[in-house]
Amino acid sequence: MSQPKKKRDYMLVMGVAFLVLLVLFAMFGPAVRSAQLRTPEKPALDAVYQVADGAKTVASPGGKFILGTDKIGRDVMARLAAGARVSLFVGILVQLISLSVGITVGMLGVFAPKWISTPLMRLTDAMFAFPDILLAILIIGVLGPGLLPVIVALAITAWPSLARLVKTQVATLKDREFVVASRATGASTVYLVIQHILPQLWGILLAVSMIEVAGTILAESALSFLGIGVQAPNPSWGSMINDARGDMSSHPILLLWPCLILSLTIFALNFVGDGVRAFLDKKGH
Amino acid sequence: MRVVKPILIRLLFGLLSLLFISFVTFIADEVTPGDAATVAAGDKATPAQVERLRESMGLSRPWPIRYVEYVDHAAHGDFGKSYYGVHEPVSATLSRTLPITAKIASLAIILASAIGIILGTIAGVFRNKWPDRSVLTLSTLGVTVPNFVLAPTLVYFFAIQLDRLPVNWDVNRVEREGQLMFVILPIAILAARPMALLTRLTRASMIDTLQQEFIRTATAKGVPPLRLIFKHALRNAILPVITAIGTSFGVLLTGSFIVESAFDVPGIGKATIEAIQRSDMPVIQACVFVTGAMFIFLNLIVDIINPILDPRIRESQI
Repeated sequence: MSQPKKKRDYMLVMGVAFLVLLVLFAMFGPAVRSAQLRTPEKPALDAVYQVADGAKTVASPGGKFILGTDKIGRDVMARLAAGARVSLFVGILVQLISLSVGITVGMLGVFAPKWISTPLMRLTDAMFAFPDILLAILIIGVLGPGLLPVIVALAITAWPSLARLVKTQVATLKDREFVVASRATGASTVYLVIQHILPQLWGILLAVSMIEVAGTILAESALSFLGIGVQAPNPSWGSMINDARGDMSSHPILLLWPCLILSLTIFALNFVGDGVRAFLDKKGH
Repeated sequence: MRVVKPILIRLLFGLLSLLFISFVTFIADEVTPGDAATVAAGDKATPAQVERLRESMGLSRPWPIRYVEYVDHAAHGDFGKSYYGVHEPVSATLSRTLPITAKIASLAIILASAIGIILGTIAGVFRNKWPDRSVLTLSTLGVTVPNFVLAPTLVYFFAIQLDRLPVNWDVNRVEREGQLMFVILPIAILAARPMALLTRLTRASMIDTLQQEFIRTATAKGVPPLRLIFKHALRNAILPVITAIGTSFGVLLTGSFIVESAFDVPGIGKATIEAIQRSDMPVIQACVFVTGAMFIFLNLIVDIINPILDPRIRESQI
C-alpha cells in the first residue's frame, strides 16, 4: 500500500518511540510501582502479585493506583508492566530461535547437497499443510499449559516461513555478480554466506521480524486468553483480558487497559516493520 | 484429461497432508508421558499391573504397527475414549461438537467472502476516492485488531450496553429460542479478519485487472460500466481471491478457538481447549486431526475449483 512518504516516516518515528517506552515500562514498571505502593506495614510488597495497602477490589483509575486495581485489588499498572515483560520476552526469544533455525534451513536449502536440502525443504512445505495454531495447540497438549510450552510451540511453528523467505532471497543473491566474482577468486561457501550474503539479508529480516514479533505476541496473548498459556497468578495481557471479561458489565475499564496496550504494541511493531521495508525499497532503487 | 490430471495431483497432495497430520498427532501421544494403560489402571496400580494391562491392550507393540492401526481406526471414525469423566467415546464428542463449529465456520466464511469481495470491488473501482479510503481503513482495523480484543468489545456494546444480543451460550435458552441470536456475534467476530484480508486482496486484484488492455478494449467498444466491472473485470480479478478463501479458512479456525471459548459455544474449539486443560490426549488428537482435515478439505475444493474456472491454470499444469 503506497502511503505518502511524510506520513510513513511519522508513523515509523511514532512506532519506535512507543516501543522504546514499552521496553522501559517493562524493565522498570514492576519495581517502580512496588516501591511507590510500599507502606511501613508492607515494606517488601511486590505490586504485581500482592495487594497494596488501601486497595479496594476493582478501583477506578486515579489516585495512588494510577490505572486502578483488579478484582483482587492488585495494581493494574504493575500487572500491565509485568505482562509487557512476558510479551516482549516471548516475542523476542521466539523470533531469535526462529531466525536462527530459519536462516540455517534456508541456507542449507540452497547450498547443501540434495540429500540434505530436499528433505529439509519438504519438511518446511509440510509445515504449511495445516494452520500453525493446530500444531501449537497439539504441542501445548503434549507439554501441558504454561509459559515454556508456549515458547516451544510458537518457536516450532514460526521458523518455516522465515526458512522459505531466506531460501528464495539467497537463491537469487547467489547468482549476482559480486557473489559469483567472490567465488571465482576461491572463496568458500561459508565465507560467501557470512561475508557477502548475510549482510544483504539483515534489512529484510529486520522488517519481517518486526511483523513476526507482532504475530508472536498476539499468539501468546491468544493462548493465555484461552487459559493454556501463562498461568495465574502470573500476568499476561491475554489472561488479563480474559479475567476482565467476568466483570465486564460492572467494570468495563478493566478490559480497556490490556486491550489498549496490546493493540498499540501490535500497531507500533507493524508501523516499524513497514517503515523499515519502505526504507529498504527506497535504498534498493 | 486436461482437467482430471491436476485434480488427481491435488487429491494426492491432500491425502499426503492428511497422513502428515495423522502422523504428527500420533507422535504427540507417543511422546506424552502416560498412555491409555496408565489411565485405565488408575492411580493405585503397581508398575507391573500397568505393564500387564499395556500388554493386553496391545500398547507394547512397536509403534509402526500401532500407527497403521491408529490410521485405520481414524479412517473409521474411531479415536478411542476420553481419559476422563465417563470415558465418552471421542467419536461421540466429535459428533456433538463438530456440527456447531462447522455451521458457524461455514457461515462466517460465506459472510467474509461475500462482503470482502463486494467491498474490495467497490474500493478497487473507486481507487483513492472516499469509498476506497474508508474501506481501507476498515480493513486495516480488521487485520490488526485481534479476535480476543474484538470479542469483548462487541459483547460490551451489543450485549451489555444495547442489550440486544445474548452474552453467552445458554443451553436452555438455545433450545427455547433457537441458535440464531446466539451465533450472530460469534459469526461476526470470526468473519472479521478473513473479511478484511479478502477485501484487501480483491481490491489489489481489481486494480490490477482494471489496468489491463482487454478492459481498455471493452471500454472503447462501449461496454456499459456496470457490465464492464462485473462481467469483464471481476470475473478475472476474483481468481486469486478464491484461492485465498481456502487459506483464510485457517485464519478462521484460529479464531474459532477464541470465539468458542469467549462465548461458551459448545463446539470443537472449546472441546480442544478443555481437553488440553485436563491433558486428555485422545480428545486433543481427534480434535486437531479433524480440524486439520477440514482445513485440507476446504483447500482441496478451492484448488479443484480454480483450474475449472481459469483456463490459464489448466494449461500451465499439463
